[in-house]
Amino acid sequence: MKALYDKIRSSLSARLSIWVVSFTALIFLAALGYMFIESRQAVRREAMRRAGQVLDNTVLRVNGILDDVTIAADNLDWLVYRNMDNSEAMFDLTRNLLLNNPDVSGCSISFEPDFFKERGQYFSAYAYRKDGSVLTEQEGSDRYQYFYMDWYLLPKLLNQPCWTEPYLDIDVEQDWSGLVTSYCKPLTTLDGTYAGSLSVDVSLSWLSEMISKVKPYENSYSVMIGRGGAYLVHPDTTKLLRQTIFTETLESPKPEISELGHAMLRGESGMRQIRIDGKDNYVFFEPVTETGWSVAIVCPERDIFGSFNRLRRIILGIVVAGLLLMFFFCFRVVSHGLDPLRRLVRQTHLISTGRFDESLPATTRMDEIGQLTRSFGEMQTSLVSYIAELTASTANRERIQGELRIAREIQMAMVPRVFPPFPERHDLDLYAAMTPAKEVGGDLYDYFLLNEKLYFCIGDVSGKGIPGSLLMAVSRNLFRVVARPGITPARIARQINETVSAENEQMMFMTMFIGRIDLKTGRMDYCNCGHNPPVLIEDGKPRFLDLKPNTPLGVCEDWVFEDEHIADVRGLPMLFYTDGLNEAENLTHAQFGNDRLLEVLGQSPFVSAQETVERLVHAVTAFVDGAEASDDLTLLCIKIKPL
Amino acid sequence: MRFLRILSLALVLLGVPKVLSAQDRFVFVPQWTAQAQFAGYYAALEQGFYQEEGLDVTILHPRSSQTPDSYILGGRCDATTLPLMQALELIDHGAQFVNILQTSMNSGTIIISRLGKDPREQHGARIGIWRAGHGQLARCFSYQERLDYNWVPLATSVNLFIAGAIDATVAMSYNEYFHLLQAGVTIGEESVLRFEDMMGYNIQEEGVYMTLAGYRRNPARAERFARASRRGWEWVAEHPDEALDIVMRYVEDGHVATNRVMQKMMLAEVLRLQLDSASGEREFRLRPDMVEQASRLMQGSGLIRRSVQFNSLMPR
Repeated sequence: MKALYDKIRSSLSARLSIWVVSFTALIFLAALGYMFIESRQAVRREAMRRAGQVLDNTVLRVNGILDDVTIAADNLDWLVYRNMDNSEAMFDLTRNLLLNNPDVSGCSISFEPDFFKERGQYFSAYAYRKDGSVLTEQEGSDRYQYFYMDWYLLPKLLNQPCWTEPYLDIDVEQDWSGLVTSYCKPLTTLDGTYAGSLSVDVSLSWLSEMISKVKPYENSYSVMIGRGGAYLVHPDTTKLLRQTIFTETLESPKPEISELGHAMLRGESGMRQIRIDGKDNYVFFEPVTETGWSVAIVCPERDIFGSFNRLRRIILGIVVAGLLLMFFFCFRVVSHGLDPLRRLVRQTHLISTGRFDESLPATTRMDEIGQLTRSFGEMQTSLVSYIAELTASTANRERIQGELRIAREIQMAMVPRVFPPFPERHDLDLYAAMTPAKEVGGDLYDYFLLNEKLYFCIGDVSGKGIPGSLLMAVSRNLFRVVARPGITPARIARQINETVSAENEQMMFMTMFIGRIDLKTGRMDYCNCGHNPPVLIEDGKPRFLDLKPNTPLGVCEDWVFEDEHIADVRGLPMLFYTDGLNEAENLTHAQFGNDRLLEVLGQSPFVSAQETVERLVHAVTAFVDGAEASDDLTLLCIKIKPL
Repeated sequence: MRFLRILSLALVLLGVPKVLSAQDRFVFVPQWTAQAQFAGYYAALEQGFYQEEGLDVTILHPRSSQTPDSYILGGRCDATTLPLMQALELIDHGAQFVNILQTSMNSGTIIISRLGKDPREQHGARIGIWRAGHGQLARCFSYQERLDYNWVPLATSVNLFIAGAIDATVAMSYNEYFHLLQAGVTIGEESVLRFEDMMGYNIQEEGVYMTLAGYRRNPARAERFARASRRGWEWVAEHPDEALDIVMRYVEDGHVATNRVMQKMMLAEVLRLQLDSASGEREFRLRPDMVEQASRLMQGSGLIRRSVQFNSLMPR
């Protein structure tokens, strides 16, 4: 199941087809549902009309025959009153009624006990048919006390004509039995005393036969129940007079059957949908007027809706098959339409793996898929071109990087990096460190001993990188060339300035501090060319040296640099640095600053030049906290020890 | 002939006599057509209990147009079933009966109102009652309670009640009551007066009676019939479903217009009425207190002229 779900999720054709078919199915469902409901209602109405017609006709025929009986009884009525004093005439009256009414099976005129004194307690003039003849007899006796019978008591107690509940009449002699009912009328004397009952019997065999034949549908059947719910007509003849419509509800409640039975007994007409023996049925019922009986036609639902259900199954079958075909064609069409896209996906996948030479599928389509393919082609071309350029520039950059690496090594080789620089001189403690911000830097420092004098310088070229490093190299060489015995730092500065300033089209300049220390006397001459003031640590307290700022080298060719001096620097540690120290910035662009510089230097007593330089480098590294260095950092610490 | 027109209760003879020369022939007439009310006797016959007692029993059902007591009074049977009060009435009329087996321990007589009223409040109402006895208790009640019911004797069936020709009817809780339910009549308990529940009116009913002369001719024979009949009822109480099968065979043979559901309900009610209200047991005995109460009620209501003693009903 999950595999199928995943397959549908990964297939646009399947998803699109499912959406289309689902939507179509929804529309079909709504339309067909409405049609089926309406059709079913129409079939139902037609069934009701048809069953109602059949019932009406049946009841009409029954009433027609029963009406004949009531008319016959009504016609006899006045004759009885006319002969109330002549008991013998009663036999003629009953006989004549039978002779004139072939539907009537028997007739009796029965009187109250001792009504005719000469006849004794019982007198019931009874006419009946036997072997095609009409016979009469007086049937009351001690063995047959007729005045306790229903047909006698009903009109007497109700004081109105009525029909008895049908009963089974059995003639043992003729081995015959049949359903019989009687129409009964009360007879009263002129003074209102009850005289007796007139009873006209009619066999209901014809009725059973007629109603049993009422079959509006193939498997439908008819039933008739009496006033007490007893089955008078039923296809299962074992139920006749033995069961009522309520019998099966006595053991286990069946509300729909009970409700139907009561509705029929109330003389209502109508229809009920009832489940009988596990099958749905429509029961149409109508009363037989005046008798209290009710006729019902039971029609199996499958008979009424048989054609409708067959048609519905066929239509549903066609719809389902059509939807499946629609799904199939939709899937095929969409799948075919997406083929170029699928090929494009495959090709772009190959391209994404680095195979830029893979060609995209050729297309002449003008739709979105065609546009997409062409856009991918253009993108591929651009990508290939860009990657070629990137490859070339990367190679070039790697070459320059290599050259810069060499330049850095050359530059670093230009400044003295062996410490202690003068191992034999115990009066000189000197240490320096230089860290370029880029591969090559614009800072420089240098020192050398000449005639017991230490010449040194520290400088910072404007601009970094290769231009700065070239000027730095030139300046360092100039320092070495110019510095000669008798040449003061100011003259060194002037000569370097003149050289650098000449043909300085790039307008590059350089700050520099140039110094010369007489190691015998401790006198330090110096010339500051726009550089940061050095720090002197006197009695453990660092301070910036007051000096003339002058101007950086290369700015003004004719600038007159002046020397300054300190009489004796022995025992005074001195720190020379470039602005890469005090202007170092952290991530928030805060600068290391002069105050922090003095603070770090004053934190602990001077130990050595190397320790001082390393402590500062460590402090700066901690301060910038990973921020990229914006400037080269150069430190030079010198202490002349008194011997 | 029209006297045969008896609401499907037509055929008379039921049961096949087992003719065994060595056995005493014994004719038994229950008081009505074949139904579960007589299941114990059918069972005794079918299970061979009578045969084991050396009796060749024939069960003969009366026609509905004839009173059952006419059979025993006419010497056409050896024993019959009678309600206690009817037996007392016949004795008062000069007959000499002895009770050889009492099956009912409670009254199954009820009065059902058609108007949804308590029958005790239907003063002067038109009440249906059987023309052939079995209505003595209701008549006593009407007299004792000054209700002055207007009795309408009728042959059978509940048709007059359904047709609305009477206001109420006397009925048996195991018979007509279920017929009315089956006819779709809704009967609320407030419309039913059950003598079983009424102080002084719970009089046991059905028992097996013989004429004194018939009993004295061969008391042992009568006792064997009683013993086998009692076994029959005990067997029915233990095997109600099998007993119902037997009843339905008799019903079918007699072409009685009834069905299994009705007979099942009847059997259950008849068996319930056989349990003594005090002990809860099936005691099969006539209670002296009930005989005395029945005699007092009937004498007080003018149905009998002299009291009938319990001992006079006993064979010994």
